[in-house]
Amino acid sequence: MTYIDVDGLTKRFGDTVALDDVSFEVPEGEFVIVLGVSGSGKSTLLRTLSGLLSPTEGSITIAGEPMVDPRPGVAMIFQQHNIIGDMTAYSNSLSGGVHRSGFLSSVLQLQDDDEKHRALDALDTVGLLDEAEQKARSMSGGQQQRVGIARALVQQPEVLLADEPVASLDPGSAQSVMGYLRSASEDRGLTTFCSLHQVNIARKFGHRFIGLRDGKKVFDGYRDELTIDVIDDLYGDIDTEGMFVSDDGDVDADAAVDGVAQS
Amino acid sequence: MNTDTTEQDGTIESDGADDVPSRITEQFENIKRTRRRRAIGWTGLFAFLAFATLQAFAATELLDPDARLGTFRDSLTGFFPLTDYFGVLPFLDVGRYLEFIIQENLLYDPEIGGLLFQIPPNPVDVYVFFFQELGIFQIFGEAGITLAMGFVGTVIGFPFALVFGTLGSERVTPFPFNFIFRGTMSFIRAIPAIIWTLIFIPFLGLGPSSAAIAIAFDTIGNLGRLFVDELEEIEDGPIEAMRTTGASKPQIVFFGMLSQVRTAFIAWTLYIFEINVRIGVTVGVIGAGGLGYVLTSQQNLLRFTNMMATLLAIFLLIISVELFSQRLRSRLRSDDVEMSIWELITGFPNRMAESMLK
Repeated sequence: MTYIDVDGLTKRFGDTVALDDVSFEVPEGEFVIVLGVSGSGKSTLLRTLSGLLSPTEGSITIAGEPMVDPRPGVAMIFQQHNIIGDMTAYSNSLSGGVHRSGFLSSVLQLQDDDEKHRALDALDTVGLLDEAEQKARSMSGGQQQRVGIARALVQQPEVLLADEPVASLDPGSAQSVMGYLRSASEDRGLTTFCSLHQVNIARKFGHRFIGLRDGKKVFDGYRDELTIDVIDDLYGDIDTEGMFVSDDGDVDADAAVDGVAQS
Repeated sequence: MNTDTTEQDGTIESDGADDVPSRITEQFENIKRTRRRRAIGWTGLFAFLAFATLQAFAATELLDPDARLGTFRDSLTGFFPLTDYFGVLPFLDVGRYLEFIIQENLLYDPEIGGLLFQIPPNPVDVYVFFFQELGIFQIFGEAGITLAMGFVGTVIGFPFALVFGTLGSERVTPFPFNFIFRGTMSFIRAIPAIIWTLIFIPFLGLGPSSAAIAIAFDTIGNLGRLFVDELEEIEDGPIEAMRTTGASKPQIVFFGMLSQVRTAFIAWTLYIFEINVRIGVTVGVIGAGGLGYVLTSQQNLLRFTNMMATLLAIFLLIISVELFSQRLRSRLRSDDVEMSIWELITGFPNRMAESMLK
């Protein structure tokens, strides 16, 4: 069953073509990683999918509904976390579900217990239950990003979009954030789109890969199809040697998650 | 350094003495011309400023002032009365200031304070102090009235400033319509608080109540403007994030925008409170009560010593409010772990001693 249907998607900013006739279909529950160098259109693709940008041409359909405005069913995680520094991890997590409550009850945090349990459950999923009452600003980059994931989960989405969620993190935190992201999307059966520029992390966590270059889709396939030649093509003249780590990863992914959760 | 450059200059000159390339002389002439032009420009500007200043002096009657040095000298001895300490040492008679401050209850009202400070404490009187006399401002006498004017003005003005400031931001209200709110605030700001007091006198009479309402009005204009400016600076990220959660427009404004500026808003409000207490003094001068009123009535009686005593009380009030608000603001702005109020009070002598030893 096709869940996300992108058809002839083109996005232009003035004369710049950010996305050029991109089409693909994604069935429910896939973990898709979007690859490409900076400026290849990854962010634009995800922002258009989330409804933050509207396409110049073409259409996006998610779960049978055209995507024109942001909606609760499609959650987004940002590179810069975009959580609210002055609020606690718990309040940030809770703010993902405000679309289910009125203005006053969300401002005064008078949501019912189910809602609050959901926020804590999401924090538990990303391993931050004990830090629930910490101010977001005082947390590390990796922790802040995990709060961002928790907020997205509280939204109870069917689709999770992550725009370079680990680009500004050190390798250790990057691994752990990606681990949490994948286990959360597996546990909850979410269709996930994640843009990355670290090829080794991408190979470790992705099922399916979509490669963009200059706004065009140049690759679309599953892990065994993602060869060194494909990577070379995606990254052009850049020396890709060493970016291509052999595939012994999946066991480590869980180990890394455990390791960080304990520390 | 200096010797190096002169040496270098010297060699360049001796080298180029035989034939200075024409492009160098050309550039040199160019620079000379620009410098000359700039010098003429500056001279013209100064001449114009001097001319304009002269005209302004004429308009303010400073060209032919009605100066009365003798009277001023007399008033100075009034402002700063001297007395002979130990019968020989002439020095400022501080006692006369204190006498007036105590006699007119400028800083402390013994009638109300007496309820609180008794040995042994009387629980009934303490109850009366807090809940019947409502004395926590009134215990400070005239200074308390001025302080309360600023306080009430800030408290009443704040919610309106918040609403007007938020709705005046272009990100909340689309472009032409946000000017309804910005325009209202500009209009309020254009009229000083002291004039607003005059406008409210027919409504509430000449007294602290019209002063407090006038200050509240003034706060809407000034604090609201600061809020608008602060909202220009916020990041788009959290707003976008709240949009993707499917939040409603008011929720996006609250969670995406206002929560980013909460600390800044509190800090600005404290700053406006500081200013409002100062305004409380000035509106008092036209008769609205508090220290300002005492000041102007003593001036009318030409009791300059008493005026100076009132000025001292004003100074004390403003300095205390400023110290309090600035400490609180710097604490809010810093990223340190927040101190509890209890720590703030009990730890004060210790911190004070520490900073004095530095």
